[in-house]
Amino acid sequence: MGAPSGLKDDCEALLSRFQEMDSVRFEDFTELWRSMKFGTIFCGRMRNLEKNTFTKEALTLAWRYFLPPYTFQIRVGALYLLYGLYNMQLCQPKQKIRVALKDWDEILKFQQDLINAQHFDAAYIFRKLRLDRAFHFTAMPKLLSYRMKKKMQRAEITEEFKDPNDRVLKLITSDVLEEMMNVHDHYQRMKHVISADKSNPEKSINLIKDDFFENIKNIVLEHQQWHKDRKKPPLKLKVKGGEEKSERNSQQSERCERAESLAKIKSKAFSVVVQASKSRRHRQVKVDFSDSESGQVQTKTTRKRRNKETLKPAGRKVSSRDRGDMQNIHMEDKSLSLSMPVVTEEDEENESFSETEFTAPKRRRKQRTKS
Amino acid sequence: MAEDSRGDPACGGMDGRQDPVPSSGGFSFPEYELPELNTHAFHVAAFGELWRGRLRGEGDLSLKEPPGDREVTDSGCEDAAAARDLGCSLETAAELRAVCGLDKLRCLEEGEDPEVIPENTDLVTLGIRKRLLKHREETLRIDRACRQETFAYEMESHAVGKKPENSADMIEEGELILSVNIFYPVIFHKHKEHKPYQTMLVLGSQKLTELRDSICCVSDLQIGGEFSNTPDQAPENISKDLYKSAFFYFEGTFYNDKRYPECRDLSRLVHHDDCLDKTLYPLIIKKHWLWTRKCFVCKMFTARWVTNNDSFAPQDPCFFCDVCFRMLHYDAEGNKLGEFLAYPYVDPGTFN
Repeated sequence: MGAPSGLKDDCEALLSRFQEMDSVRFEDFTELWRSMKFGTIFCGRMRNLEKNTFTKEALTLAWRYFLPPYTFQIRVGALYLLYGLYNMQLCQPKQKIRVALKDWDEILKFQQDLINAQHFDAAYIFRKLRLDRAFHFTAMPKLLSYRMKKKMQRAEITEEFKDPNDRVLKLITSDVLEEMMNVHDHYQRMKHVISADKSNPEKSINLIKDDFFENIKNIVLEHQQWHKDRKKPPLKLKVKGGEEKSERNSQQSERCERAESLAKIKSKAFSVVVQASKSRRHRQVKVDFSDSESGQVQTKTTRKRRNKETLKPAGRKVSSRDRGDMQNIHMEDKSLSLSMPVVTEEDEENESFSETEFTAPKRRRKQRTKS
Repeated sequence: MAEDSRGDPACGGMDGRQDPVPSSGGFSFPEYELPELNTHAFHVAAFGELWRGRLRGEGDLSLKEPPGDREVTDSGCEDAAAARDLGCSLETAAELRAVCGLDKLRCLEEGEDPEVIPENTDLVTLGIRKRLLKHREETLRIDRACRQETFAYEMESHAVGKKPENSADMIEEGELILSVNIFYPVIFHKHKEHKPYQTMLVLGSQKLTELRDSICCVSDLQIGGEFSNTPDQAPENISKDLYKSAFFYFEGTFYNDKRYPECRDLSRLVHHDDCLDKTLYPLIIKKHWLWTRKCFVCKMFTARWVTNNDSFAPQDPCFFCDVCFRMLHYDAEGNKLGEFLAYPYVDPGTFN
């Protein structure tokens, strides 16, 4: 009763393919569902007890993807998946979907977001589940046990389905930028005011480059754009035909050109600071403001978690994205050596994480317990 | 119902996650204390009220059969309701009904057996299941559920959907159901990781005494005393009647009774598919299966007697069924033969 059922693999395959479709339409989902014949997941002469257990497990698993921190698209996909599983199950009466009190408010908010964004099919589906009374309203998401199970499974979050953890954008938000701009303006004005010659402030108090703020803003926007861009093409890499590939290549070369030219401009204003390897982080070169001539900026090292993520053991969905990502980084790296990760850094990161990755499959290989 | 709204605005509001509880201190909002393992103690009635507050008036709490299953519904009426709830047009609602129909999810053709795994499937789950089925076909002569599996399934499902004969016995909407796990108290070495237990569903409105009475413990049935000279006179009284006092001990408070409940699992609101007959609660839905001790002589019937210092028995203690016990130890007139001490024995597997 402890063997892995393959449910996680199948659900994630479905959800990641749905994510690639870049749509939240139920029609598209059902096309995918039918092409994978997902409804047959209940086939195979399961006896009653096993049917119940399996269905419960399936619903619990799908439910996890319906809640934060997964992306909007994944959450909608999970909603559709729940609808599919609930209605195609063979248990009589049907196994219900457990919803804990702490999650209900979030779900209602999601429902409202769907309606506001006019994703009527998704909102309709949720409403239908509710009308069919598919939910059990509970205290916690799953029945808790006191030493009833031999091994405790900790729920792992699938990183590919999350929005990437972007520390740069978290740090430099639009509020921060606005405030920076205000402070900068104020500062410039003050300098004018206290100078003898009102129109031209003293050179001796020229401690900061005038366009400092502009540059920061551009870097952040650049970073944001980079994030957006790197999400799409690797997914389309799953060979749908030569056209897609060449499209992607031309897209990429465009971006590279642009990136290159931008980098050239920036490198004139800033000197490049290479991100030190993890082991030498304590000796990371820090640049300060004191030198007005070159106006160097302290770079923050952003840990690109995505690359570590692509090394997760679940083989299928990873391979092409992995390649795509690596290629992307490699090219961009040559041209935009700012706060982007250096390729060698990745290897080291990977190495240090490979241990944790390898333990995951071990954990999955659950022992067969007597049922 | 004990936890009907007391008119206290602090309890059961839509806001705030930790609604203060009027009488007892602590939370009413279930939160993990250790993730995935256990929660903080929370006030069950207040928790129930938090849910009911959110769901009242929305139809989620109703215990009637939902109309959805039957095809013969007024689709125009349905569409109007959908349009109203979603803020879309009537045409859109009708379109949605078509687009989101269950037929869009069907993966099998007409006449295809839902139990047969399709040939060329990419689903990992089915691959695993196929291999398992093949393995069963090759190694098992007869492939059916064993007694324990049947027992477990029966326990889980025997009361599902039951409606009471008397409508006064119907559970109220919004009632809470707690699932309580009661663990086997004896500490066997093999039970260190994985103790056998039973699961009981209790209504929020029921009393602890009802819970106590519903717990089947073999110790209750023990008959005290040595009866080798008077085997026919085992007394009417069993331990349960003799030792009346008992306590529950929950979260640092004694509620006088005498059992060993170790863990209280969590609660949920009642659903129309649950057992809706009040009188059947507390309802046992999971029981550990205990192997009964058989008579030493015939090895067929469950032991009813145990002897010590028995000149006829090859081991001490020795277990016998009633028939074998009398045949071995008494003559045709019922006179005691030989030397032995005899005690009535109640096997823990009695409740299987």
